[in-house]
Amino acid sequence: MAPSTQFELSQPPTDAISSLVFSPDSSHRLLVSSWDKHVYLYQLADDQASLLNKYEHRAPVLDVCFGATNNEAYTAGMDRQVKKIDLTSGEQTVLSKHSEPVRCVVYSPAHNLLVSASWDNTLHVHKLSEPGSEPLVIPLPGKPHALSSSPTKLVVAMTARLVHIYDLPTLASATSPPAPWQTRESSLKFLTRAVACMPNDAGYATSSIEGRVAVEWFEDTPESQARKYAFKCHRQAAPEEEGGGDIVYPVNALTFHPVYGTFASGGGDGTVALWDAEAKRRMRQYQKFPEAVASLGFSGDGKYLAIGVCPGFETGMEDYTGQGRTRVFVRELGETEAKGKGAK
Amino acid sequence: MGKKKRGHPDVEELLARPWCYYCERDFEDLKLLISHQKAKHFKCERCGKRLNTAGAHPFPASYHLTTIANAISIGLSVHMNQVHKENLTSVENALANRQGLDIEIFGMEGVPEDIIQQHNQRIIQNFYTAQAERQAATGNPPRGLSGGQGPTKKIKIETPEEIKKRLAEHRAKVAAQKEAIANGTPLPVAAPANGPSPSQVASPFPPPQPGFPYPAGAPAYPPVAYPPGAAPGAFGSLPARPPSGGPIPSALPQRPSYPYPGGVAPPGFPGVSPVDESAANAGRGPGGDDIDQLIRMAEAGIKPAKNGDEQAAPTTEKKKKGMRMVYDDTDVSPEEKMALLPRYRWVEEAAAA
Repeated sequence: MAPSTQFELSQPPTDAISSLVFSPDSSHRLLVSSWDKHVYLYQLADDQASLLNKYEHRAPVLDVCFGATNNEAYTAGMDRQVKKIDLTSGEQTVLSKHSEPVRCVVYSPAHNLLVSASWDNTLHVHKLSEPGSEPLVIPLPGKPHALSSSPTKLVVAMTARLVHIYDLPTLASATSPPAPWQTRESSLKFLTRAVACMPNDAGYATSSIEGRVAVEWFEDTPESQARKYAFKCHRQAAPEEEGGGDIVYPVNALTFHPVYGTFASGGGDGTVALWDAEAKRRMRQYQKFPEAVASLGFSGDGKYLAIGVCPGFETGMEDYTGQGRTRVFVRELGETEAKGKGAK
Repeated sequence: MGKKKRGHPDVEELLARPWCYYCERDFEDLKLLISHQKAKHFKCERCGKRLNTAGAHPFPASYHLTTIANAISIGLSVHMNQVHKENLTSVENALANRQGLDIEIFGMEGVPEDIIQQHNQRIIQNFYTAQAERQAATGNPPRGLSGGQGPTKKIKIETPEEIKKRLAEHRAKVAAQKEAIANGTPLPVAAPANGPSPSQVASPFPPPQPGFPYPAGAPAYPPVAYPPGAAPGAFGSLPARPPSGGPIPSALPQRPSYPYPGGVAPPGFPGVSPVDESAANAGRGPGGDDIDQLIRMAEAGIKPAKNGDEQAAPTTEKKKKGMRMVYDDTDVSPEEKMALLPRYRWVEEAAAA
């Protein structure tokens, strides 16, 4: 097995990371959005990464994703704007404006749709094939906190443990806000933190602020629904002198491996674990990172895992800052490092 | 001289190594042997489960007490029978005449007396063959024996060129030594601590290795003779035989601390307690090659990196009272709170102004 190596980006964002994402092709381009009001573009090559460019925004950037090419990105801004960025020229175009900060953006290559989710309790569905057209606005019953898409589904996780699943082909053809394909209640008791769809369109995983991950399937049959499960993770035993018990960390990041269908979770405890969703097993847990894991991303070919690390926001923090403690690691995965054993 | 001690263990060390009845491989210690057997010979080819033994025979009276006490388990044959409804006919990866299921082996337990003797014979013979070859190749006397008393030594035939070269080297060395002695500086040579004796300097043999002191005048080592049948090495310190077959109570899936909405069945919470140790083993199931690798590493003294899976700390079994959430607002996300901090706040009007 090829040895796996890990290296750190030399020019990380200067404040907390909100999201990081690899280009879906195998060009090993990495976008990182930060609370320092910038989006960073890195290019990986031979155990190191160079900063190609950074794109300034008016306010902290809460999410970023690649568009149709590895030269095109979309960002979700605290300044309520959804923007398209031409990564070569740096040109920024405002796609739409929400009335509250935009939390997430997701691009669906199959349907050429860009969906943004904002704390104004709406989704904006942008048909990129019709530039300049008004986005389709879908009202939501709660504030969205996480958004993820599979080839045909879009999963929106909101406050009050609400989960809506939309059918992307329906969204692509809709002219008025369609009803969700499914509405569900989260399997987790606490606030949803992250959601990630399986690349094979079978289901999704969600995580909560209470050190737990749930895996569910889209198929709405009793058999499929009986397969869903949840488990605890990203916890630490508290020292005895503090009364023992567990310190429970939020699970901030989830991402599926594009090839093997296994997934990684990153928590406030600074650890990253690889899970085999089929076999219900943990495959690996990596050494603790110096700060909480904020975001995770596999490269399009599954050879790299990027890990965004910055202090986690904890209850009671008044003067939070990620300054000087924000770092990005890239782990080169061994041949079979992320490969599951499959269900027994 | 920082030369490593030569890797030629003496015959006792070799005889003391535990070895596998099925394939005659020997191992550094009993644990490695047992894990080898589980991986190579007692692994179920249907489901990858690793059993402890091949069959399910009653344990012979000769078995070590602790072995029997820990042996409340079933063998591969019974497992195949019960789980897969198949009959096990032979032990996998075994030598042709050792595939039978009639003998119950666990580690070194259960190996028939005559097989042990055969094995020891083979080891002793191999040892002396190898030693003789080494001597023939190096010209060194056997360890613990003075030059002439060793087993028949092949005469090394050197070409005139080689002899000349060796002579030149030897002369250079002697000259260097003389010079060093004349200068009063100690020589950084491979000489034994007691200093080079004239006989050694003039010796036609190359200087002896440290750790193999030149044995001139050393008492002749008594020829190694083993009482037949006495299994060398102490196997009294058997590692506890791991239980298997049934779920282990302590590794049961943990009860959720509250009823799950939506009837989510809690799986084995990995990282806290695997569903069931034996199933976990099956799932992880290092292929035979992996375990071989591990064994080889262990033999070489390399500690394999601990797999996170294996250190399932049973911490959360403790009382729930101390559970503390690092972030516990169930309505407002951390990002929303951060967005309110002056550091990150966005004011639409200010931007417009």
